[in-house]
Amino acid sequence: MGYAAARGGLNAIINADHLLRTLRDCDHSEPLGADQLTGRLRLLVDRTMGEAGLWAPELAALAIRQAEGDITEAVHLLRSYKSTLPRLATAIPVHSNELSLLRRVVPAFREPGGPQILGRSSDYSARMLNVHEKSVVPEMDPKETAPSTAPRPQVTRLMDTLRDMDLLVDRRNDSDPEPFDITRKPARPPAPRSARLSTMARAETGALINLWYRNILGPDGYLHEVTLGEVRHGELPIRVTHPHTGSAIKIGNFRISEVEAIEDLNGIDEDRTKFDVGIGICFGHNERKAIAMANLDIACHRDNGKTSLEQSILMTTDGLDSAGFLEHLKLPHYVTFRSMMERKMAMRRVSEEQVETKEPA
Amino acid sequence: MTVVSHREPTGVIAALSGSALHDEPAFTVLDEESKREIRRALLHAVCAPGYQVPFGSREMPVARGWGSGGLQITLAIIGSSDTVKVIDQGDDEGVNAVNLRRLVTASTGCEETTEVSEATVVQTRHRIPEDELTSQHTLVLQVPVPEPLRGIERDMRELSRMHAESDYSRMWVSLYEDKVRNGVITQTTGYPCLVNERYVIATTPIPRWDIPRLHNAEFLSLFGAGREKRVYAIPPHTVVEPLTFEDIPFEIEQNENTHCRLCGSNSSFLVQSPSQDDNWSCSDTAWCRARRTK
Repeated sequence: MGYAAARGGLNAIINADHLLRTLRDCDHSEPLGADQLTGRLRLLVDRTMGEAGLWAPELAALAIRQAEGDITEAVHLLRSYKSTLPRLATAIPVHSNELSLLRRVVPAFREPGGPQILGRSSDYSARMLNVHEKSVVPEMDPKETAPSTAPRPQVTRLMDTLRDMDLLVDRRNDSDPEPFDITRKPARPPAPRSARLSTMARAETGALINLWYRNILGPDGYLHEVTLGEVRHGELPIRVTHPHTGSAIKIGNFRISEVEAIEDLNGIDEDRTKFDVGIGICFGHNERKAIAMANLDIACHRDNGKTSLEQSILMTTDGLDSAGFLEHLKLPHYVTFRSMMERKMAMRRVSEEQVETKEPA
Repeated sequence: MTVVSHREPTGVIAALSGSALHDEPAFTVLDEESKREIRRALLHAVCAPGYQVPFGSREMPVARGWGSGGLQITLAIIGSSDTVKVIDQGDDEGVNAVNLRRLVTASTGCEETTEVSEATVVQTRHRIPEDELTSQHTLVLQVPVPEPLRGIERDMRELSRMHAESDYSRMWVSLYEDKVRNGVITQTTGYPCLVNERYVIATTPIPRWDIPRLHNAEFLSLFGAGREKRVYAIPPHTVVEPLTFEDIPFEIEQNENTHCRLCGSNSSFLVQSPSQDDNWSCSDTAWCRARRTK
């Protein structure tokens, strides 16, 4: 058959599956423990959890290992695992003001209210490949390191500072609608802000960065460069309602990155004496993603449906959607291609007939 | 280093390899509440033929674009007493068909077949089997792009208005322009059809050859687009008209001077293999095989 290379039925598939697993699991190096991934490849695990929309470091580590480090594949494993499980409870909303800070940078002020905490970041390290580094365990003085890694208590966020200075447009409202659940309802434009935010929180990191940069140097240009208020990384509690007592209980913690993007309002119909703020929040330590998200959040609000920005955010940033559809091109398409060839011949036939009728023999 | 033996797979792998019995579901792909939600969307779809019903599409063990929508429908409607046939391009042995079939059988415990006459659910990508489907069958079609108007309009807000108001004027104009520019209507597969005189649908892409079989059919057709999170349906005995003009008849693919090199048929949808001398064969392999063994 014309598709012999990728055909051959069940046996070929089982053999391909077997080859994949054997070559992965029988490598001569030491097998990877999940704790090595969560402990030593923290940012990879964080990014995978963020794009999967599932806080589960151990499962994410297993997925990354099974996927041989392919993040999209690992995200796929986690999301389809989630599809097998019933939803047992919904967490009680938690305000990000409760964030216990591991890192906080406020580019907008030299001395904001509260501390600037550089924390664990490669931002200030020279990016030089350390080819000589011995893999030895550095000696750690617990007294010395403990304070810098321990979460800091809550501090005032810059948005509230601006609000106190009467420099911020007030978009708060009391209606408190249920957030749009993108895992249960498809979000399409026009959609509530919560749908856009949760879509971006689960989006593929590179897709969000690209959508942002496309607006800076590409043909779209719906958004401005913003000033960042807060860039935070920290820990929040997960609380659920106890099924018997009905009271709130904490069942664990998760980490987020959170960013405030301050926008300089300059539109004719905007309050040009004030600023507005976009918010970006995603699982784990992934500042790039949170910054892009915050910038796109405020850009989409200001765009107010005038352009297709909202559709781009909602429909084109999911890593599994885009990668899956791209890769489906590898599947057989010979029925559709046959039909396309048939129309080419039909067009040719018609134009030949027209030539014949115009030129009498 | 521990060397793990891979010769005796267990769990999910065993089930997918066929070494576990099919009697009992070996694992779950989709939880029961989700299946119920999909069935509700399908009921809605049957009540409004051709209308694209939004649903909370879940991530499946197959990628978006690889039949995740069709798979969710099949899993939602199938039971252990059902028999499933899965084809891709008309072929039960296509890689995608094999993969989806083993997921369905291993996770639901249903039977599998390549024979239309034995099947109750037929899941397909890009074809409708040549054999007649009856009221015993439910046809589940995998849909990559459910929006028939996307070629003429990109904005989703405008698209939803056009469907809501049955405003298909620009579709007609595009067909007219196609005819004027090219001499024929060049739309190949997934030909746009008006369902129940109300909604225009994308016909998956199945070839034009299969389109007439959707009209006043005995069977229920369910369309699943997992990536775009839409399902739609053509209930039995529903009017399905390919969009065309009164004086321009709808054309199916022609089999001029061709026949299947295996069974000799020229009354089935034939596909070409340029590497072969006698290079046409039936795309529906089970149908072709049955003709040869008769």
